[in-house]
Order: sequence, then C-alpha cells, then structure tokens
Amino acid sequence: MNGPFELWLFIVALGASALGGTLGMASGIFIVPILTVFGHVNIHIAIAAGIASVIACSCAGAAPMLKARLTNVRLAIVLEIATTLGALTGVVVSGLVSTPILCMVFATILVLSAWQMLTRRRDPPANIPARRPRSWTGLNLDSTYPDRALGQEVDYRVDRLPLGMGLMYGAGLISALLGIGSGVLKIPAMDTALRLPIKVSSATSNFMIGVTAAASAGAYFVRGDMVPHIAGPVALGSVLGALLGARTLMAIPTEKLRLLFVTVLLALALQMLLAAFGVVRVQGAA
Amino acid sequence: MAATLSRGTWLASAVIALGLLLPSLTQQGARIVTVGLALLILLPVLRVMLMLVAFLRARDFPLTAVAVLVLAIIGLSLAVGSLSAHHRF
Repeated sequence: MNGPFELWLFIVALGASALGGTLGMASGIFIVPILTVFGHVNIHIAIAAGIASVIACSCAGAAPMLKARLTNVRLAIVLEIATTLGALTGVVVSGLVSTPILCMVFATILVLSAWQMLTRRRDPPANIPARRPRSWTGLNLDSTYPDRALGQEVDYRVDRLPLGMGLMYGAGLISALLGIGSGVLKIPAMDTALRLPIKVSSATSNFMIGVTAAASAGAYFVRGDMVPHIAGPVALGSVLGALLGARTLMAIPTEKLRLLFVTVLLALALQMLLAAFGVVRVQGAA
Repeated sequence: MAATLSRGTWLASAVIALGLLLPSLTQQGARIVTVGLALLILLPVLRVMLMLVAFLRARDFPLTAVAVLVLAIIGLSLAVGSLSAHHRF
C-alpha cells in the first residue's frame, strides 16, 4: 500500500466494517461521513467508496446466513425490484442535489439509525390471520426457517407486500444517494411492514443490500466517481473488517456495542449537520 | 451459491490487494484496482444471474421474470451513470 492516506482509509474501513459486522450492519454510514469530514474527500467520491464498502460487507457476510437457511431468497429478489428502482432514482437525484442538502439528509439518517439501534425488535405474533392476500400467493413467498432456540422449523408468512415494496424503494433511494447500506430502513420495514421474524429479515436484508448497492455502484463506477486509490483501500479494509466482525460476533457484549454505535452515529450526525450549515467544510460537487 | 460468492469475494479482494501493493502512483496499479472494484460490483449481479438460472431450472417463470427485471434495472442504472460520466477509461 502506498501512502499514509491510503493506509488511513484502509484502517478506517476495517474498523467501521468490523464494528458493523458484529451487529450485522454495513459500514457505509460511518465511512462516508468520516471520509468527507475528516479525510476531506469529495462527497461524491466518498459516497462511491462507501457503496463499494457496502458491497464488500454484504458479500463477506452473506455466506454464513445463506448456510443457516435464514435468507428468503425469493422474497429478496421480488423486493429487489423496488430497491434497484430506488437506487436508480437515487443515482439521478445525487447528481441534482446540493452538497448541504446531502449533508442534511445524512445527518437525519444518522440520527434515525441511532434511534433504531436503541429500540428493541420483536418477532411477529405467532397466530397469523387466516385470510390471505391474493395477488402475491402466486409468487410463493411464504416460507419457514430453522429456529435454533426452539429447535424446530417455524412457519412464517409474508404480509403487506405493497407497503414493503414502497419502503424498499425509499431504502434503495437513500442507499444510492448516501452510499450506505440502508439497513436502517430495510430492517424495520421487513420486521414491521412485512411481519417477518427478526432473523429472517436480518438475513434477507443483508442479502438484498449487495444487489441494491451494485445498482448504484455500477452507475458511480461508470460515471468516474469510483477513484481507485480511495475506493480500493476502503473496499479492501471492508472485506477484511466484515470477516473479522462476523467472527468476533459472539465475544463482545451487545449492549456496549450498541451504546458505542449510538455515540459514534450521533457524533457523525453532528458533524454532518455542521457541514450542512457550512461550519465544517465539505468538498462538494465535482 | 454461497461457495461461489465467497470465492468471488476473495478473488476480487485479491485483485484489489495486488493493485494496491504495486505503487499506486503508477497507471498500472490504479488500473488493477479498478478491475478489482469492477469485479466486486459484479458479484451481486452474478448472484442475481445465478438465481435466474435456478428459477428457470425450477420452471418458476414469474420469479425468472423478476430476476430479468432486476438485471434490466441495474443495466439501466449503468446507462444513466454513463450519461453523466466525467472521466474516461
């Protein structure tokens, strides 16, 4: 690796992805603000690097969950119609929106993520309504998953798909616009709107995040925002970090991690807010 | 599918790593990293293609169509990106 800056990028990505990996999050949400505010990287280039790291984390984390049969692959691909459309929209919007507004949106999402970290997630109630929605039974999305705690297969239904699709569109848009994984929007959507069991929504969301990111990453790559000496170290650090994070998943107490995350998220939110008002300088449109 | 993805991730990372070990000031180093990044971006796309084949084999035509649609949208996104391109390869 050449140059202290590349090394710094690598380390930041590694740390962010390792931390994110322990809680099943991607790291774009940390990487983009840190690169922009502290690394003085142009925000669009930082976003491209962020989205590259999102793909890296998603790929690194997907395999074990697939093996555990938690991912609802069929549901994922249907939802991906919405997320990729959202990503496409996000790519278009990112070319039109001013940097201060981008920072403002970022600050909002950071705060939302912090809030979401603090709220508990709940599995849907066991008794599912007997009446089934008609139009998507043909897609055969309902499934089962192996619940280790109960030691058996658990049936679940996919509910309220149109609402879920709408939310996924939004998540895809935000993901492309900010260069993040948007788990903050996807996971509550899957937990609450679609009423999926927690483990299934985590696994499925992780699976989808990569495809969504690819849609915008491809656009940014072709556009020329994916600068090799910035996105490269970030992507590399992210792969290693995500693998590392997944391995240390068990070792660290979750509560302390959550608090750490919330602190960092809020600190970054403040920075982005200051950037939006011009107090902190951020390099904007190329 | 999991195995292909893991191997693919390692391959892409290896390419990026290789590109970074060479002095990244040179044209060559940057180009190799770019290739590695392109590979990384293609991995999820490859994932969707694998799913398409699997659905087709299982004769699940609605979901095959869904997979095609997703690929088409990604292609469209690439096209949109190229419209506002400000660098050349």
